[in-house]
Order: sequence, then C-alpha cells, then structure tokens
Amino acid sequence: MSDKKNKKMEAMVIKMLRQERADSIARARAAIKEQNSVIKAIKEVLKAGPKTIPEIAGAVAMETEPVLQYVSTLKRYGIVGEGPKDGDYFKYELLS
Amino acid sequence: MKSKGELQFDAVVIGGGIAGLQSALDLGDQGYKVAVVDKDATIGGKMIRLSKVFPTLDCASCITTPKMSSAAHHENITLFTYCSMDKLDRENPERVVVKLTQKPRYVDPDLCIGCRKCEYGCPVYVSDPEQGGFNMRKAVYIPFSNAIPQIALLDAENCSLCGKCARVCPTGAIDYFMKPEKFTIVAKTAILATGFELSPMDQKPQYGLGRLQNVVSSMQMERLLAPHGPYNRVLRPSDGKEPDSIAYVQCAGSRDKSLGIPYCSRVCCMYAIKQAMLLSGALPLADITIYYMDIRAFGKGYEQFYQNAKAMGIEFVKAKVAKITQGDEQTVKLRYEDQEGDGGVMEREHDLVILSLGIVPQWDPEGICNVSCGQDGFIQSSMPKIAPTVTDLEGVYTAGVAAGPKDIVDTITEAGAAAMEASNYLKGLGQAGQGQEETAEAEAGA
Repeated sequence: MSDKKNKKMEAMVIKMLRQERADSIARARAAIKEQNSVIKAIKEVLKAGPKTIPEIAGAVAMETEPVLQYVSTLKRYGIVGEGPKDGDYFKYELLS
Repeated sequence: MKSKGELQFDAVVIGGGIAGLQSALDLGDQGYKVAVVDKDATIGGKMIRLSKVFPTLDCASCITTPKMSSAAHHENITLFTYCSMDKLDRENPERVVVKLTQKPRYVDPDLCIGCRKCEYGCPVYVSDPEQGGFNMRKAVYIPFSNAIPQIALLDAENCSLCGKCARVCPTGAIDYFMKPEKFTIVAKTAILATGFELSPMDQKPQYGLGRLQNVVSSMQMERLLAPHGPYNRVLRPSDGKEPDSIAYVQCAGSRDKSLGIPYCSRVCCMYAIKQAMLLSGALPLADITIYYMDIRAFGKGYEQFYQNAKAMGIEFVKAKVAKITQGDEQTVKLRYEDQEGDGGVMEREHDLVILSLGIVPQWDPEGICNVSCGQDGFIQSSMPKIAPTVTDLEGVYTAGVAAGPKDIVDTITEAGAAAMEASNYLKGLGQAGQGQEETAEAEAGA
C-alpha cells in the first residue's frame, strides 16, 4: 500500500476511535482549556516576581488549595521553582 | 507487542510488593522459574511509596529499589505488571492455572525507552494518586521516577487523543488501539502476596468524612515526607503554609467495631512515631502531638524508638479523639477526652492532622480463587502457629499483609518462609531448581 493510502487509512481509524471515546475526549478537552487558563494566569502573576500561595491565589481569584496543586505541578515539570521563605510561606518563582 | 498465550513456570507469585519480591527472589535464587504478577504498572508495592522505615529510619527506597531491580534482572524471574487476575485454579497437585488480563498501557512495552518525552509533551494534567493527590501528573506518564519497569502508560479516560505523545515519541511506542489481552500462566505452586489498602478516609462522620481541609491519611503523609514528594517538603495542603502544629489521631480506622474493623492494625503506632520523628527533623520548631489509646511497640527496638520519640519532645496524649472539625484560619479542631492529667473534654487546634488509618485486605479472592479467608477478610492460614504461610489450598501459600496486618520485618521473614514452603512443595513433586541437581551430584561425588 502506498504511503498516501496508509495515511488515509490511519486517519480514518483515528476518527473512528475519536467517535468511540467521544465523552472522555470532550472531558479531557474541557480540562485542558480550564487548566491552560489557570496556568496562564499563575504564570502571568509570577512574571512580576516571586509570590506565596495566598498571594498568587489572591491575584488569580482562586482558593489557595487548587493554586498550591497547580504550583506544585508546575514545579514538578520545571516551570516554577521554590524561592525564599516569607514568614510561614515559601515564595515561588517562574523558571521558564 | 508479542501475544503471550499460555506460559509455563515453576511458581507464580501474585503481588510484586516487598513480600512478593522477596518470595520470588528466594525461589529464583534456588533455580526455579518464577512469574511475578502485579496489578500496578510498577512493582514495589506499598513499601516503595514510603519515605523511611521504623525503627532504623532507613530510606524505604534504598531497601526496596535493589530488590525490585534484582527481580527485574533475575534470569529466573519474569515480571507481569499492569495485569488483573481473573481466576486462580489449582487443577491438580502439579498444576495451578492463573488466568490474567493484561490491561492496555497504550504504549508498546517492547518499544518504550522510558524517556518521558510523551509525558512532557502531553497537554492534560490529572490529579496524581501516587503523590497523595497533592499535585498532578500527565495523561501519559511513568508512575514515579524509580518505577520498574520504566515504561509509560496512557490514561485513556483522561486522554484527549490529540496525538502529541505519538508525534514526540522517538520510537513510535504509542499505540492508541491497544486492547486488553487475556493470557494464562501455568505453574506448579503459587504464593499469594496481595498486600493491603488503608481503610477509607470517608468512613467516619465524626472525622469529617474525608472532606476536611488539612486532614490527611498516613499514606499521604508518607508522600509529604518523601524526598520526591509533591512539595519536596512538608506543607499544609490547603495553602502551602509550613505547619507549626501537627497531630496524629491513632486508631482512626482500626479497633473500631463501628467501621467493621475490630482488630489492631499493628503498625499504626510505630509508623505514626516514625513520621513524628521525621517531622521533628524536617520542622524543628513544630509541635507534634500523638493522640493515642495505647501505644503498641511490640517489635525489637520498638519500645526504645518510642522512648526516643518522647525524649525528642513529641507529645503523647492518652485520649480517644471523638470529633474532628474545621477550625479557624484553616486549622483543624480536635475534641477529645483527656484520660490523663486533669481529665475531661478538651479541644485543641492544629495546622495539620494525620489519621492513622487501619489496614484492610487489598484483594478479595471471592469468585477468583477458592482460598479461605478469615472474618477480617485476610487470607486464612491453615496452620497459623507452626506454618503461617500455608493456606487450605495445597501448594498455594501466602505471605505478608495478605495474611494479616504486619510490619515490614515480619513481612520479609514470612515471604522467605513462603518461598521455602513452595520450594519444598516443588521438591516433593520431584521438581529441583535449575542447578540444584548438579550441586547435589557434585556434593554426592565429593
């Protein structure tokens, strides 16, 4: 079979799989959209300098608990780093 | 990926935690061909997820990783990870048939090189139970950095099928069309080392049904204390504050008839003391309190460990905590009856509270294997005093917490005993391990 035909067949099979998993794909896409908007907002806040979790949460108008979950996730993937301590809280800074 | 079909081994070990690995290594070293089956995508069980172990405070990973690695590289041991067990039948004295389903990883294990490019490329974040849910992983991921095998898996429920992982994979390992695959292992003997789960967080209305901020389970605390934990330090999960005051509530899931768990889980006192000692090292200025009914420090060196904890300034309050509620400023309020000192009903607030949950069986053999269990749900030993690893199914043995709550020392000892029982059984069938016949002949010649 030619490469062109192979690619066409592959695209067709993927399309069928997308139909089969339509519900979970829709949920995942909605999650990506929401996550990207929160991450963008957190990164925007951190561009101004290192901040604690309550400071970030205040700036993005979110509860502190999910903000900590996002920040620790961004730290895990090397996007955010831990900065100096400020009272009982650590500050977090943007790495990339 | 190659189809497995029916595979022959001398022994099959169900469970790749520390008990299963120890049994497999002991049998493998005797020359027997062993299959290790695990439901998880990695071997290592609960122990690889711990920070340190009591009473020596050795790093848990430093003990477990070499055993995981030895099993993975052992010429006589084959690992089957991410498999569910559909049936375990002992058909006759020489034939144990285990029917398994290989769950789809959506990543070809023969092609994946564990580079994690798929994980870094994936756009979906998913709450990570491996990190106590405190941070997130990607939809395609390797469970943790020292997982064995280092093979990625894709969480189809959270995948958007965007195709990015397949595009960045250097070996073309991503396979979105993978299906569950049935296969069979036929062995002569089996060891059930299926381990445990912690009792649920949401069982007790008095303890907030798992909905209170800053009330975490003992396993979540292990992750907070682990060097590769979610925050790389101990922080209050509600807002990232370094906690000043931390409390342990003992018997939060055991010795409680209302939960259907009347027995003592045996390790909670010691793991709470261990965690408290680690916390006092990590947070020297924090007040650490353990609310207990009575401390059960039964093993070698355990009483000294308990006395050391008291000498370090950890406060032990003899009290049964009656109620846990949300306090002011994200604190947790404990209401308890003080059984020493002035007595009476007291209330105290803490930044972080850990529930010392009980141990319950991880696996229910009902409908899968006709091995007997006790009233507590753990696998029943037919000779608990003289041969605790022997079950009522001839040629099928048990080891570790599958047979009842026990610590790591007892688990490893019992795993060795189960391996010896299995080895004796195989010898009784006239089945010597590879190399054993040659050794016996050489010894006879000498």
